[in-house]
Amino acid sequence: MLLARDDNTMGELDGGPAAVTPHCRRERSWSLSSLIMAIPLAIILLAFVVAPLISVVAVSVFRYDNFAVVPAFTFENYQSVLTSGLTLSLYLTMIKLAAVTWAATLVIGFLVAYFLVFHVRSKLIAIGLFLVCTVPFWTSNIIRMIAWLPLLGKQGAINAALMATGIIHQPLQFLLYSDFSVVVSYVNLFTIFMIVPIFNAMSRVDPALFEAAVDAGASRLQTMLLVVVPLAKSGIALGSVFVITLVMGDFYVVKIMSGGGAASVVSAMVDDISTLLFPHAAASAVVLLVVLTLLIAAIMRVVDIRRELVRDR
Amino acid sequence: MAITAPSGGRPWTFYALAAIFVAYVIFLYGPMLCIYVLSFQGPEGALSFPMRGLSLHWFDELWTGGDTGDLAGAIGRSLVLAVLVMVLTVVLSFAAGMAFRADFPGSSWLFYLIIASLVVPGYVLGIGIGLMFQLLGWQTDWYSSALGAQLSWTLPFGLLIMFAVFGRFSRSYEEASRDLGAGPLQTLRLVVVPMLLPGIIAVALFGFTLSYDEFARTLQSVGSDNTVPIEIWSMTQNVTSPSIYALGTVTTALSFVVIGVALGSIALIQRRRQGATPL
Amino acid sequence: MNALSAAPKPGIAPAIGTVELAGIAKRYPNGTLAVNGIDLRIEGGTYCCLLGPSGCGKTTLLRMIAGHENPTDGEIRIDGMNVVGQSPRGRGTAMMFQSYALFPHLTVRDNVAFSLRVRGVARDARIAEADRVIEQVQLGALAERLPGQLSGGQQQRVALARAIITKPRVLLLDEPLSALDEFLRLQMRAELKDMQKSLGITFIHVTHTQLEAVAVADQVVVMAHGSVRQSADARGIYAEPHSAYVARFMGGQNVLVGRVEAFAAGTLTLSGAGGRTFLLRVRENEAKAGDTVTFAVRRDHILLMRAAMDGVAPPNCVTGSIRAIEYQGTFVKVTLAAGAATGGEFVAYLEEGGYFKTPFMVGETVACSWSADDAQVVAAD
Repeated sequence: MLLARDDNTMGELDGGPAAVTPHCRRERSWSLSSLIMAIPLAIILLAFVVAPLISVVAVSVFRYDNFAVVPAFTFENYQSVLTSGLTLSLYLTMIKLAAVTWAATLVIGFLVAYFLVFHVRSKLIAIGLFLVCTVPFWTSNIIRMIAWLPLLGKQGAINAALMATGIIHQPLQFLLYSDFSVVVSYVNLFTIFMIVPIFNAMSRVDPALFEAAVDAGASRLQTMLLVVVPLAKSGIALGSVFVITLVMGDFYVVKIMSGGGAASVVSAMVDDISTLLFPHAAASAVVLLVVLTLLIAAIMRVVDIRRELVRDR
Repeated sequence: MAITAPSGGRPWTFYALAAIFVAYVIFLYGPMLCIYVLSFQGPEGALSFPMRGLSLHWFDELWTGGDTGDLAGAIGRSLVLAVLVMVLTVVLSFAAGMAFRADFPGSSWLFYLIIASLVVPGYVLGIGIGLMFQLLGWQTDWYSSALGAQLSWTLPFGLLIMFAVFGRFSRSYEEASRDLGAGPLQTLRLVVVPMLLPGIIAVALFGFTLSYDEFARTLQSVGSDNTVPIEIWSMTQNVTSPSIYALGTVTTALSFVVIGVALGSIALIQRRRQGATPL
Repeated sequence: MNALSAAPKPGIAPAIGTVELAGIAKRYPNGTLAVNGIDLRIEGGTYCCLLGPSGCGKTTLLRMIAGHENPTDGEIRIDGMNVVGQSPRGRGTAMMFQSYALFPHLTVRDNVAFSLRVRGVARDARIAEADRVIEQVQLGALAERLPGQLSGGQQQRVALARAIITKPRVLLLDEPLSALDEFLRLQMRAELKDMQKSLGITFIHVTHTQLEAVAVADQVVVMAHGSVRQSADARGIYAEPHSAYVARFMGGQNVLVGRVEAFAAGTLTLSGAGGRTFLLRVRENEAKAGDTVTFAVRRDHILLMRAAMDGVAPPNCVTGSIRAIEYQGTFVKVTLAAGAATGGEFVAYLEEGGYFKTPFMVGETVACSWSADDAQVVAAD
């Protein structure tokens, strides 16, 4: 929610009928200095987000003739993308992975945030633990991803440990180069995107509400479901948006962790680009963006995102 | 603030959730730690356990071996780029954060643009930037197109942090400063920036680390010279030796140094201020 | 422990919320003793105020009666049954929180119906019951609103409705009026009093405002440092404090000291600093000659006049220079700097009309005198 207008813009209005004022500024309901301060960031984003996306849309209607991209206006790329069976199967795969990842990150993220906000007594320790969860986010994603290879493989540490303790006698195949390893990697990388918004939303819950619920006779589970979850709704929605778009937009995790066997919607684009099929890749990109926009719009009905992020003093 | 049983002790759910938390932290750090350990293997070392030998052999390989391309150059470029992105992110996010304290035309559009920058898949944006430069006839380079690509990722983070920081910042400090005769620029320099310094450092931290590790957006827009994440990527395409683990250890160690400096300075500032609200 | 019981269990006494505290103490793990061995009886169906400064333990005591904190020692009996260890619902109490703690995501109706919902009452039944209670607190038109859309006074009524729908035997109010502005405070305290009368249950109300406590309470319990200093009806606390602490805290008395000179025929003669003499009426006396006695003098039964320069000062009189004069509408508060016997300060409340016939000025030397009937012995602290 925006705050009151900047003091600098207050002008004086002329009151008397015959009076002459040397300078009379009309009151603006907005702030000029704000506009000026926001312009640099706006320019960068316009140049490096809006303009590129427009370029993508433009190229998606170009034609590809004999190893050259020719400006044109044709829907053949969209036709190719939308009627291809590959596209559908890729989307189904990614949606399946996104759904599983979303569920896992939601449960883990919710419980971790709940623990940090409501069970840790010292605020300092809570922040410290929160930072512990965040630090890996500031290191390389690719490294964190391949770090699973020595753990999950047939000769990996997990299989070795399980066999050593006699729980299994054959190494588990599904641990690596499978949907399982892809999802494990996603959860490892993206849970933080759930934790942060939910943590924020939960921090705003008045602690007295817990006692009020107990006073009214609610059990702990009822308190969590009837009081905390609704109040954390906006954080859950925001986290969901992040996790789902990150999974749907991924091209390297699914490639490496599935052993090169599976592909994703975006990795198909990578293949197109590597063979210079820019228009086809662009059309795929536009389709993906449309799908994501619809998904996000659906999730956003749950929360007023602006109120959530631009906090009122 | 914490949930307590009437007897004053901790309810059983505390222990259950604490266990889940610990499991999550192990899950988070475990794999990374394995890599660091494995990178210290001897020349007979392989990509997975058990550990064979103990040496700095693979670190040596990083510089001398044929696996890696121009690693030193990549590190240099990555660092320079990260510093550039960090500085630009701090300045632009701070300015925009100040801007959003009041109303201005287009503020809603800008806000949604920021969210859009965050959720657009990085690779798609990378393609877009590459195509845009192609259409304009410009060459993509790490210091131009990649810089812009990385800014599109760091600026939203920076701005969201600034929202949180300014949201807790009472206007009464600035009003007191004006009341005492300071002009707007003086107030900014002597009151606002010093008070918000922890938040600014946090934005710098995000700016640096997100740029240094940025991969998806940079891949298509970097031009002919690689950054470190792209070097790592090309190594993963043909993973044959633990030298990639060594690279992982080196690059993560660098990240930890930066993180340590940033968090350390924030902690120092907070401690000196004795109880100022964090961030 | 039956967390779902709605009606209080049938006991020996009729279930109207008589509260008895026996040896209640609360010591925190870090060693702080918040409540120090309290014995107290609150009759069912009365309005009781726990009064004291911050940190005196009144809120801790309230929360122990409510079941949100357990005592480290002692028993809490409601209608004859020890309820220590029982949940709030199980023991038939309900609490109105200082910050109201209304669920921000639920409408007024859903807030009020919350306790029925968690008990599994069917939707139609609980809505009907909630609406009935909402009418009782006169918020019928606002049942669909969210707490954020209500004023402070309205929020308080919702909190009240939410508590009374559970049909508690004892309603506990944690500084219910401190978040309101002065005008609303006066209005709401009258409404709370009315509500208590019409419900017929026990109200226990924590406050640090003396005049608020005497305005609403049938029984005022003054606390300090974790113990009860005096428990009596409002008039008794105000006009007949037992100790210097209560006398000073309530603000209606001056506290002086004197040395015993003689005791005869129901009159105790004391000598004070500066050669003054004080006479008190006491029924019995154990103090011997030479003992120090502390006594309290009512502030609103003082005669003020310009100091005469005579030699002998009459008994029951102090002189001093006026330090401050404060107009309080129906009376004028005159503060004197008056010397050692009085602890340095002496205050008189003078009737307003009479004062302005012969007003005084700051700095003037005046004499205050009172009748022996308006002074009483109090325990020294």
